[in-house]
Amino acid sequence: MADLRIGIIGFGKMGMLHGGIVNGLEGSTLAAVAEPSDLVARALKTLKPDVRVYSDYREMLKKEDLDAAYIATPVFQHVDMGIACVEHGVSTFVEKPLSTTASEARRLVDALERRSVPNMVAWMMRYLPTFRRAKSLLESGVLGKVIQFQVTMYVSQLFRKGKGWRYDKKKSGGGLIMGPCSHALDLVTWYFGEAAFVNARQNNFYSGETEDFLHVIFEMKSGVTGWLDSSWSVRGHRLVETRFDVHGTDGTLIVTDDIVKVFLEKEAAGLSRGWTIERIPELFEGVPIDIGGGQYTRENIEFLRCVREGRSPENNVRAAWKVHRLIDAIYASAADRGAPKEPDAFGGER
Amino acid sequence: MKHETTRPPLDPIILGHNPFFGVDHLSHEKGAARDQKFSDIRNVTAMIRFARERGVDALMLSTHPRARPICDALRAEPGISDGLRLYPVLPYIAKYVRMANEKGLTNVVLDSLSGAGIGTKLGTILKGGAGVLGRDLMKMIETLIDLEMAVFTSLDLRAVFLHQALTDLCLGLGLRGIFEFYEEYIPRRYNGAAAAYCTYNLPYLLRRLHEWGIERPVIMASFNKAGYQMNPDRPSNERALKEGGLSFVAMGTLASGYLRPAEAYEYLFRFPNVDSIVVGVSTEAHAEETFAVIRREREARGA
Repeated sequence: MADLRIGIIGFGKMGMLHGGIVNGLEGSTLAAVAEPSDLVARALKTLKPDVRVYSDYREMLKKEDLDAAYIATPVFQHVDMGIACVEHGVSTFVEKPLSTTASEARRLVDALERRSVPNMVAWMMRYLPTFRRAKSLLESGVLGKVIQFQVTMYVSQLFRKGKGWRYDKKKSGGGLIMGPCSHALDLVTWYFGEAAFVNARQNNFYSGETEDFLHVIFEMKSGVTGWLDSSWSVRGHRLVETRFDVHGTDGTLIVTDDIVKVFLEKEAAGLSRGWTIERIPELFEGVPIDIGGGQYTRENIEFLRCVREGRSPENNVRAAWKVHRLIDAIYASAADRGAPKEPDAFGGER
Repeated sequence: MKHETTRPPLDPIILGHNPFFGVDHLSHEKGAARDQKFSDIRNVTAMIRFARERGVDALMLSTHPRARPICDALRAEPGISDGLRLYPVLPYIAKYVRMANEKGLTNVVLDSLSGAGIGTKLGTILKGGAGVLGRDLMKMIETLIDLEMAVFTSLDLRAVFLHQALTDLCLGLGLRGIFEFYEEYIPRRYNGAAAAYCTYNLPYLLRRLHEWGIERPVIMASFNKAGYQMNPDRPSNERALKEGGLSFVAMGTLASGYLRPAEAYEYLFRFPNVDSIVVGVSTEAHAEETFAVIRREREARGA
């Protein structure tokens, strides 16, 4: 079978990462890059002359016969670029978050309804071994009926006003929530479905117009309740640290980046009564090439498989649009001193 | 490679930097506790002295912000640094990721270079054709390396490792030119120190480097009985090591503390071609035990 020809739009940190992975995997080749920076474009021409480099992504889409395109540009550009890819019939991979708002994201959902191509949004935490294991444990039903969840996500990142597009609300859509926290919100929807109502409070101490501290209370459509507390302005967390505690009638699940702990009232699904602890070395699964973490490779393998099979994975653009409805409701509630807001009321119909 | 014959041997045990920098791949919490302990540089130098008294004369050090005070302390205390061989790892990737998040990767590069006084030339470089850039691109990379390496001035360097994030990115992109450049530049610029690579893709990297004519590269990769951080899987890594054609530094031998030292090193020394082991130690008792077990298992296996 011929290699899938891949184009990357935006050859910054994440664009290079995906470029390295797709080029390193069997069955796909980095064919073209669209990158407006002269330095990056010229460096690529020197070091990798077999890749065609464009300063304008529209040129690339027009001239190259691509099987898939990866969009790894600042957030506010994602949707227009995604629509262009879809209109060219090119499978579309979009870095997270999908968009600045749900109604903006809706435009890409609509474009996909007019012309369906395989599509995916890069919620890479779904591909981390511990959080994957937690998903399978939740699906197995060993916890009985899930009642309540607690999420914390902290990183020592920002202790003065940040510079660049990520800290400009018009370009990024927000601060902490659009950064690391969007992953936690994606996991909340992956694990527990859609939220019926949220109440949220935020504190913008360092950033001014975007949030540095966030607290959200959830009422899910399933009746499960929960809360999330997050900040990128707390000390003592060299890397992003995430923890979910899930309480059910038959047991408790605790999952972090390093460990999965399950307490069960009775033996179930091969797990004994009491505590079972699984650590990262036990859960490790090798990948054909690891650049910056196996989760990125697993994400790419899933996307490329979907491209070949002409379908989209669970974490597709439509699912990401729903995460953005949740995010919009969180912002609206925080702006209204924690008044309950309904995600379904945001970001268009359906 | 032409410098292969003159390349000095690697130290059999290298003290790792992770505990000093609060890095713990198994537990963020443990990492944070160590970070607090070793934020006092005297605790770092005490550990280096303790290791040296037990015959471990090598230290791995990434260009983490804490490398500067550690190197300053080493230079100030010849009693610890004389005869100590350093194995730098560059760059300290977390710093660049954080900077790239703020201003984008291109600006990180441009700002670093302008700090070194060559930024003003960049306008001219960018106006030139790809051929002009090709030459100057390598100059820029040299400058970026030298900037990272400045912290190690006057210390004895044995091998200079490229961080796995860059090694593996260049591997994935197939940037043969970068590897050829690095092999040539490091020993020439740093007094015969070996060009070396940290990777999470040992079999893949070794195969490509051999294809590209780099015959006996120095590679550091995870190697442990748990198969942790061994891509694509443990058997492929074991085969690659048995086939040889490299100088090998084993890291992650305890799978981030998941394995007990005795079982870990009993496994490791079943394999030939393990030239060196990098070990992170956070307490004297831990160091004592680890060094003793490594030596015992190495002798028992005649490795």
